Amino acid sequence: MSETKKLLIIDDDPDFVDGILSILKGAGYEIEARYNPKEGYKELETGKYDLLLLDIMMGRGAEGVMLARKMRKDPKLREIPVLIITGIREQIAYLFPGSSVSPHFVEVDELVEKPIEPGLLLERVSYLLKTAEARKAEKA
Amino acid sequence: MDQDRSKVLIIDDEEVVLDSCNQILEGGPYDVATAMDGTFGLEMVSEFQPDIVFVDLKMPGISGFDVLERVHEFDPTIVTIVITGYATVDSAVEAIKKGAYDFLPKPFTPDEFRVITGRGLERRRLVLETSALRREREMLREHFAAIVSHELKSPLGAVQQNLFALEAELAGKLSEAQAKKLERMKSSIDNLLKLIHTWLRVISQDIGQIQESFKPTSIEHVIIESIESVEPHATRKDIELVPIIARGLPEVNGDETTLRESIVNLLSNSVKYSRISTQVRIKAEREDQQILISVTDRGVGIAEEDLPFIFGDFYVGKSAPPSERGSGLGLAITRRIIEAHGGSISVESALDKGSTFVIRLPIAESKTKGDSMIETSVVANSN
Repeated sequence: MSETKKLLIIDDDPDFVDGILSILKGAGYEIEARYNPKEGYKELETGKYDLLLLDIMMGRGAEGVMLARKMRKDPKLREIPVLIITGIREQIAYLFPGSSVSPHFVEVDELVEKPIEPGLLLERVSYLLKTAEARKAEKA
Repeated sequence: MDQDRSKVLIIDDEEVVLDSCNQILEGGPYDVATAMDGTFGLEMVSEFQPDIVFVDLKMPGISGFDVLERVHEFDPTIVTIVITGYATVDSAVEAIKKGAYDFLPKPFTPDEFRVITGRGLERRRLVLETSALRREREMLREHFAAIVSHELKSPLGAVQQNLFALEAELAGKLSEAQAKKLERMKSSIDNLLKLIHTWLRVISQDIGQIQESFKPTSIEHVIIESIESVEPHATRKDIELVPIIARGLPEVNGDETTLRESIVNLLSNSVKYSRISTQVRIKAEREDQQILISVTDRGVGIAEEDLPFIFGDFYVGKSAPPSERGSGLGLAITRRIIEAHGGSISVESALDKGSTFVIRLPIAESKTKGDSMIETSVVANSN
C-alpha cells in the first residue's frame, strides 16, 4: 500500500501529456508516457503499472477504444484500472454534464473530459486505485 | 472537355431544322450534335453529355414529352428547351410543367435561336453553380465538427492542462497579481472551449438535442449571470447595463447554459455596436403565457435592407469596428437556441438610433416542474 504507485499515460498529444505529468508527479506518483496506442500497449503489457490514463481519440479515430477493448480480453490487463481522458465526451456522454462516467471497458474505469482540473484528476486517480485494490482483495 | 465550349444537342425529325440550327451556331463557342428521333437522341444524351437539349415535341417514335422526362431522369441539371412545331401555347406550357426551361416556336429566326441558346446556357451555368455550392455547404457542415474539434479544441485543451499544472506547481509562490493573471488566462481558455462546444453543437448536431436536458429555469438568474459575463466588456466602453426584471417571473422549461449563451450574445452584440458612454437595457416581463426578454441599445443600428439576413449564418454587421468583428454566428446560434426552446426572436432597428432584440419564450407548465427534475436524477444515477 505504501509503495509508490506507477501510472502509465497513453495520449498522442505531448503538450497535453506534459500538463498531466507534472500534476501527477507533483502528487508523488511515478508516471510514464507513451504517445501512440501501439507502444503504449506494449509498455502496459510489462505489467509494471497500477493504473492507465488513456486518450480515446488517437491516430485515425477512436484507437483508445480499441486499446481498451484489447485490454478487456487479457485477464491480467483487465484488472488495471483505467481513467479515460477524452475531448469527445459531448458525443458519448452528452447527458452527464459535470460528473464522471463509467464506460465499462474494463473492470474499473471512468471517463473524464479534457482538460481536467488537478483536484479532480488526483481525486479520480486515487479513487480508481483504491477501488481496483479493494476488488483485488475481495477476489483473493 | 473544353471548359469554354458548350455542348448543344438538337433532337428534331426535320433535317432542315437540324441543318439551320447547326449553321446558326457555327463559329460560336459550341459543340453541336443532332439526332433525328427520340431514341437516337437519348443515346446521344448519355454519350455526348450536353449542357442543353432542344427537343421537338412532335416526332415519330418516342414523343418529345417522353424524351424530356428521360433527359431529366438522366441528369436533372441538363437544360431542356422544346421546339413546338404547331406553335400551340398549350403543349409548350405542358412541357414547361414537366421541367422544360423554355420553348421555341417554329419557325424561328437565327437571332431567336441564338438568344434562347444563350439564355439556356446561362441557366445551365447557374444550375451547376448552385448544386456545387450546395454540395460545398454540406461538406463544410459535415467536416466542420471534425476540423473544429481537432484543430482548435485539442491545442486549447493542452494549454489549459498546462495552466492547471503551472498553477499547482506555483501554488504559494505567486503574488496576488500574478495569481490573478493566471486565473484570467484560465477563464479565457475556459470560455473559448465552451464557445467551441456550443458552435460544434449548433453547426454539426441537431440543436434539438438540448431539449433532453431541459428543466425549469429561472430567467432572472440567467439574465443576472449573463450581465456578469458581459460586464467587463461594457465597462471598458463605459456602457451601463441596466436590468429591468419584473418581479415573480415564472420559470421557463429550458437549458440554462444555452439560454445564458443567447442572452450573452445579445448583450455583447449590443455593447459591441453601442456608442461609448451609453446604456444597454435588458428587460424581462411576462406577457400571457410567454416571457418577453428585450435588449435595447442606442448604437449604430441595422440598415433596413440588412434586417432579413442578420439571423443567418456568418452575417457580420458592416458597421462593427474592425476590432470588434465577430464570427457572424452569434445571432444565428441564438436564433437556433431560442427556437429549440419553442420561442422566437425578432428585431427592430433604426440606423444610427439603435436596436431592440426581443426574445419570446413559453413559460413552463407548473406541473412538469417536479416530474422533469426526478427524471433527470434517475437518468444520471442509472449508469
